[in-house]
Amino acid sequence: MDNEIHTILANIWFLIIGLMLFLYVVLDGFDLGVGILSLFTRNDKHRAIMMTSLESIWDANETWLVLLGGALFGAFPLVFAITLQSLYVPVMVMIFALIFRGFSFEFRHHAKDITLWNLGFGYSSVLASLAQGIAFGGLIGGLLVFDGNYQGKVWGWFTPFSLLVSVGVVSGYALLGATYLMIKTEGSIQVKCIYQAYVAAALQITILIAVIIWIPRFNPYFAARWANNLSGPYISFFLLLAVFAFFMLLSALQRRFEIRAFFWSVIISLAGFTAVAIGYYPFLIPASLGLSQAASSSKTLIFMLAGIGFLIPIMLVYSGYQYLVFRGKIQIDMPME
Amino acid sequence: MEILQDSVFLSRLQFSVTALFHILWPLMTVGLSIILVVFEGLWLKTADIDCYRHAHFWAKLFLLNFSVGVISGLPMEFEFGANWSRFSIMAGEFFGNILGFEGAMAFMLEAGFLGIMLFGWTRVPPIMHLFATCMVALGASLSAFWILVANSWMQTPDGIHLENNRVVVDSYFDAIFNKNMPWGVSHMWFACLATSLFVLGGLSAWYILNKRHTAFFLKSFKLAFLGVIFVVPLQIFIGHNSGKEVFVNQPAKAAALEAHWDTNENDKGAAWNLLTWPNKAEQQNDWAIAIPNGLSWIATGERHGQVQGLKAFLKGDQPPAILLIFYSFRLMVLIGMYFLAVMLWTAVAWISGRLTVELIANNPLLLRAWIAAIPLGYLASECGWIVREVGRQPWVIYGILRTRDAASVLPTSVVASTLLAFIVVYSILFVLFLIFASRIIRKGPDLTLTP
Repeated sequence: MDNEIHTILANIWFLIIGLMLFLYVVLDGFDLGVGILSLFTRNDKHRAIMMTSLESIWDANETWLVLLGGALFGAFPLVFAITLQSLYVPVMVMIFALIFRGFSFEFRHHAKDITLWNLGFGYSSVLASLAQGIAFGGLIGGLLVFDGNYQGKVWGWFTPFSLLVSVGVVSGYALLGATYLMIKTEGSIQVKCIYQAYVAAALQITILIAVIIWIPRFNPYFAARWANNLSGPYISFFLLLAVFAFFMLLSALQRRFEIRAFFWSVIISLAGFTAVAIGYYPFLIPASLGLSQAASSSKTLIFMLAGIGFLIPIMLVYSGYQYLVFRGKIQIDMPME
Repeated sequence: MEILQDSVFLSRLQFSVTALFHILWPLMTVGLSIILVVFEGLWLKTADIDCYRHAHFWAKLFLLNFSVGVISGLPMEFEFGANWSRFSIMAGEFFGNILGFEGAMAFMLEAGFLGIMLFGWTRVPPIMHLFATCMVALGASLSAFWILVANSWMQTPDGIHLENNRVVVDSYFDAIFNKNMPWGVSHMWFACLATSLFVLGGLSAWYILNKRHTAFFLKSFKLAFLGVIFVVPLQIFIGHNSGKEVFVNQPAKAAALEAHWDTNENDKGAAWNLLTWPNKAEQQNDWAIAIPNGLSWIATGERHGQVQGLKAFLKGDQPPAILLIFYSFRLMVLIGMYFLAVMLWTAVAWISGRLTVELIANNPLLLRAWIAAIPLGYLASECGWIVREVGRQPWVIYGILRTRDAASVLPTSVVASTLLAFIVVYSILFVLFLIFASRIIRKGPDLTLTP
């Protein structure tokens, strides 16, 4: 009985953390994506519009990462510790990139020559996305864990597989950024975003399929889950959903349906990620650390549920309110710098 | 340097670099956000347009400060897992839980209303804007609360037991309201207020001294002073009591911050070292200027009260760097006394009617005393954290987990690289902040601004 409750609680926290990760990937994903795309514009007015579209929200978007870290730390301390320790290098690279990105963004207002700051913002966005992708690739590529300790090398995450995943993450973020900008812009800059969305989406869906076909070749557990009659159909379903979302996106782009384009971009990432998660379930650190085994005690999970779980709807309401206040196309006829 | 070959030592150094740098920014985020609430509330209540302009002007500095706070705070959460994985595994159940609370209750609240507070003036009604400012301030203070809960639990780890070398919580109430927590939380919160008030008052004094917008800045100067009257005496009271708490619960730390080696005998009081040169190798002070019975008075309130000396602990259980702890503590106390003196001096000036637009410039020394106070709150807070954290050594969780056993197993070269990167990046960040903040300050407020 106690064990059952513990398993249920561990699964609830697995879902909550999944939700936080999803919100982070979508929200900071488009945020980082706008940063990536800012490298591809030479037009100062366009750039000003792109930056303004992030001004009131970038901090809130990045905060989901902090919340994700805290929740993982409390609910699955082993996973938190082992993942961060074994992915030390990409995590630190991501942190430094986010530091650079944050201060390039905030300090550029006060700078006399902003070219350097703009480049800093763009490149640190790329670097942060690459580092997140490579860390995620390293994680699903498999970490050598034995008896609750990381046994691998400090560069163990650096493989062709994780590199591919990281390019996939960068293109996914770029797609989210492009479709977010479609909502916030009009005219020539919007046309450019649509074109960029086509390229990013094509790249992302190709890599997504390649990654999911690649995993069973080195991970027999994933292969077995896919072949299995219980879980297999779900993996295939979400993979197909990703492909379907890709075609829906193409049609939305063609017809300039702004909200729909963003929606289907989100679905591509969500479906791809869910397919991977089902393939690994119930392992949090693939093939070595299971859900219940890694979770904190039931008492802590319940206490955290009371403190964090019930706040999530409230957080979503006021975060949504902030988006509502700043809705609409960006206008920059007002003095910018 | 053999010690630089030690990855645990490098991780410690990295954590102290990131923590000492990070703490500079929340001081103002917490304090200034409350000051912004006051200005905005005063504007709505009195319709004084200057309060509206004050709110806008200080918000610029707030944003710059806030950004550095956010980006320098991010690494710390991840360092727990990356550099201190054994600590995280052992204590995550409570410590991680509290950090999660901080994220959900404090950071999200702050971030969720920050955009409206900074850029939403024309988009929401004034009362909604005030609400947003209040939520930012509440979020900042809640974040200080939860962080100090987590840190004070590392000082006095109550409400838990160990199972398979992992922390299991018996009572959340005891763990959250641990013995050190009331003092830790209040001392830090008041440090934020005091630092921010002296920055507000000091910068206002600078404008007045330079004859820029005297009437405008006299308002903020007086507001700062009114805050200081409450905050400084209370902070000194809290500081004194939190010191007494340390004597009860962390006697080795207390003995280190007073460089007190020998436990006094029953019929003799312990002397209080005003200045000294502690020598850990010899387990004594090379020289000392001391007040007889002083330490017994301070720690126990009695002339002959017994105070445990450092020698009561094994050498391996004594904090390192006693010289650093001893003088950091003294510097912090000295700054508190300076604040008190400036407060009294200003009170006298106000009572004798010299704090008016016409007369205030005739008192340049008083204004300079306030300007000099601008960096002192920061310095005192840094000293306080050094005393608190170095004094807890060699433990990371006092009496339960030694720092040495808390670290991740990482190659020295990797930790050395990230440590170096933090030092370089943070130095650049610090200099840039100073450059841009001074640009905002030199430019001054926009006195044509209307709602």
